[in-house]
Amino acid sequence: MLTGDKSDLFKPVRGLWRMLVSRHELFVFVLLLAVGTALSLGTDTFLTVNNLSNISRAFSWIAIAAFGESMVMIIGGVELSVGAVMALAGLVSALCMQAELPVLPAILAGLMTGGLVGWINGTLVGHVKLPPFIITLATMSITRGAIFGLTGGWPVRNLPQGFRALGQHDLTLGTVSVPQPVLFMLGLAVLASLLLEKTVLGNYIYTLASSERAQLVSGVNVAQIKVLVYTLCGLLTATGGLLMTARLGVAAPTAAVGYELDIIAAAVVGGTSLFGGEGSILGVLLGAAIMQMLRNGLVLLGFPAYWQTAAIGTMILAFILLDHWRRQSR
Amino acid sequence: MDMEPLLRAINLSKSFGTLTAIQGVSLEVYPAEVVGIAGQSGSGKSALCMLLAGLDAPNEGDIYFDGQRLQYPFRARTLGIEVIHQEPDLAERLDISSNIFLGSEIGWSLVVKWLKVPNRRRMDKEAAGILEQLNVHFSSLREKVGNLSSEQRQMIAIARTMTHPSRLVIVDDPTLLLSYRYQQKLLSLIQTWQQEGTAVIFSSNNLDHLLAVTDRIIVLRQGRRVAEYRTDETGREEIVAALVGTTDRQQLTPIIWALDSYYRARKQAEELRHQRTLLERDLAAQDTLNQQLIDQLGKQVNALDSANVALQDAQRRLLTEREQERKHLAREIHDQVIQDLLSINYQLEEIEVDEHVTSALKGKLTDIRESIRGLIDDLRHICGNLRPPTIDSLGLGAALQSYTHEWSKRTGIGVTLDLDANRGRLPETIELSIFRIVQEGLSNVRKHARASAVQVCLQHTSPRALMISIADDGRGLPDDFDLSALSAEGHYGLLGISERVALLGGRLKLQNQANGGLLIQAEIPHPRVAQPAGGL
Repeated sequence: MLTGDKSDLFKPVRGLWRMLVSRHELFVFVLLLAVGTALSLGTDTFLTVNNLSNISRAFSWIAIAAFGESMVMIIGGVELSVGAVMALAGLVSALCMQAELPVLPAILAGLMTGGLVGWINGTLVGHVKLPPFIITLATMSITRGAIFGLTGGWPVRNLPQGFRALGQHDLTLGTVSVPQPVLFMLGLAVLASLLLEKTVLGNYIYTLASSERAQLVSGVNVAQIKVLVYTLCGLLTATGGLLMTARLGVAAPTAAVGYELDIIAAAVVGGTSLFGGEGSILGVLLGAAIMQMLRNGLVLLGFPAYWQTAAIGTMILAFILLDHWRRQSR
Repeated sequence: MDMEPLLRAINLSKSFGTLTAIQGVSLEVYPAEVVGIAGQSGSGKSALCMLLAGLDAPNEGDIYFDGQRLQYPFRARTLGIEVIHQEPDLAERLDISSNIFLGSEIGWSLVVKWLKVPNRRRMDKEAAGILEQLNVHFSSLREKVGNLSSEQRQMIAIARTMTHPSRLVIVDDPTLLLSYRYQQKLLSLIQTWQQEGTAVIFSSNNLDHLLAVTDRIIVLRQGRRVAEYRTDETGREEIVAALVGTTDRQQLTPIIWALDSYYRARKQAEELRHQRTLLERDLAAQDTLNQQLIDQLGKQVNALDSANVALQDAQRRLLTEREQERKHLAREIHDQVIQDLLSINYQLEEIEVDEHVTSALKGKLTDIRESIRGLIDDLRHICGNLRPPTIDSLGLGAALQSYTHEWSKRTGIGVTLDLDANRGRLPETIELSIFRIVQEGLSNVRKHARASAVQVCLQHTSPRALMISIADDGRGLPDDFDLSALSAEGHYGLLGISERVALLGGRLKLQNQANGGLLIQAEIPHPRVAQPAGGL
């Protein structure tokens, strides 16, 4: 047959570039273990069930939003309104529930809001062909402004128990109890991975940044893919925002301020290329985990809080340099 | 044609910034029609193809496909419009079969088309089938196309158009990246598409290709449509005149005389012009020295050109006139001298039967009549050489058969004649030239080759080119053979052949075969012929 055994060996890892990505994931995983081990040895408080469950809960919504962000980055775009969308989705749901709407429709309203912002971004980028950086910067402002306008600056409290349970309950599996947001994150990770790795759409998403013309010639509706990816990003971000709001039990207008950078950082640290075409859900998951672990570790080690942001920024810079270096050495 | 056009473009214009690529071009393409687009580089061929393929939106004008306005470019492929570009547009990171099936993947659909899971095994199998048809072979279909040669990539782009039946294929001069073999493959593919009812728009820089497969040729010059010809009713001269925008015969002759050198000259002129524009841009301050140099160069090239033209013109006239002269002479001999001799012979016969003539005189008269009859036979033979009598009435095939038969009897060298069955009648001048080529080739064999057998073969290499090959088993060409030195030695046989071939715009190849004998191959382009009713 034309397909030799050799290519079957790498069946799950399609070709060289995916191999490199998987190597990056391995790298991040090893780093994660190393930092974890160091923190376990250096502090008494790190390796406790409580702390680990806190860390994983805290990065779960960042990771979910980063799944969407990484898809946008893989098609060569960028989405800056993610933080604002997280807050807006939570706020819309909270307002709906305050208006005595049942929990499920309120959640749907929150998701739709996120999807709508994504759709608007996607349409402007895909059909009108405007640069994503400027567009999403504008929608970020608009969204954040809308949040303040809707709340008048006051947080929305007294959310129903049924909603808060989504973010606050743990699910006991045998002896371990896992926070529900983490389960959501794992479920969405599997779905997003399947979408990217197994479907035709995944194929288009991975090749769009480098071969837009080939897709046009082949009759693939490139603009529609962009709209779809941005909308998907909006929906995932809204999911993250809802879980965050449920966990905190309050929809604050200043929630998730600056999260867009954390989300982009999680994607970049996880191996998503800023130039598009590369990245994976597993990597993003590990990226979000290592970021949160570092943050947590710095607190536990008594590192001055004001310097934490600088430390995180240094790490992002290191990973961008790594991405750059890998591109050049190819 | 009464049919509705499949594609109708009305008044298309497109400009990029200040550069106008296409200006007010309208055209129609009917089902199962091959429309050629000719134009020099920069004349807007590619821009037009991009517009017609829906890959670019025109600034002005509309495109209708199958009666519907083509509004959403990305729908072009779903409507059945395929496009092959100069440079293959492939997804570098995907493998061969994924590229061939990009946008039309085979697989298991989950709810919506986007969520289709590709069936790699079936895609590989179908891709292998298509590539087999195209005669392209890869060790693995899982190879990334980024690692392949540009010819291989272009063939993959061609294969991509064959995954499902299309209604219109736009072929935008992809032959640049292809070797001769695959160029021919593409041409025959275009003909297959036409037979299957698919319309083809074929933009090309190669007039041979355009003349070989198209029904109509549209000529673009500087973004405008300047002419349109039915391929059957036109020739290189007319098209080139439209391409260049001049009808001055002095300029055109060399083009028709030898298209190859024309293209070379054009390319050089193009480069010169390109460099001049570059220079002009760089030297905004008008470096006069450079300018003069370029002007001088241009003048020199022009002077050389016109000298060449005059020479070629004279040569052409000479050969044509010689042919006329021969025809005239043959007719003179046949109508005058032979008739006179026949009547003298008849008169002698009258005298011979007279009862007053003695038997001794009778014997002498019989001798004289014998020699007159011999003279008539000789004259007839000369006539035949001057102007083969059968060629006008029965055609080239019959003329060649009778000539080679007679030649073989005369020289004792065996001749096998192999004629293409699908040959039809060609224009008189071409048939005559082919006959002369064979004649001169055979006489060359008799004089120099010391051969015992000759094979003469007439075969079509493409629908509009005929290959004449004459192969003998003699001693072949000497090592230091030089065609141009022959005339100095008074040998005109091979030289005559090469002149005739050049006059017809063909190509000549002389080479020794493995067995030592000489192989003369002359490829001669000719206008499309109607298929013959049958036989010779």
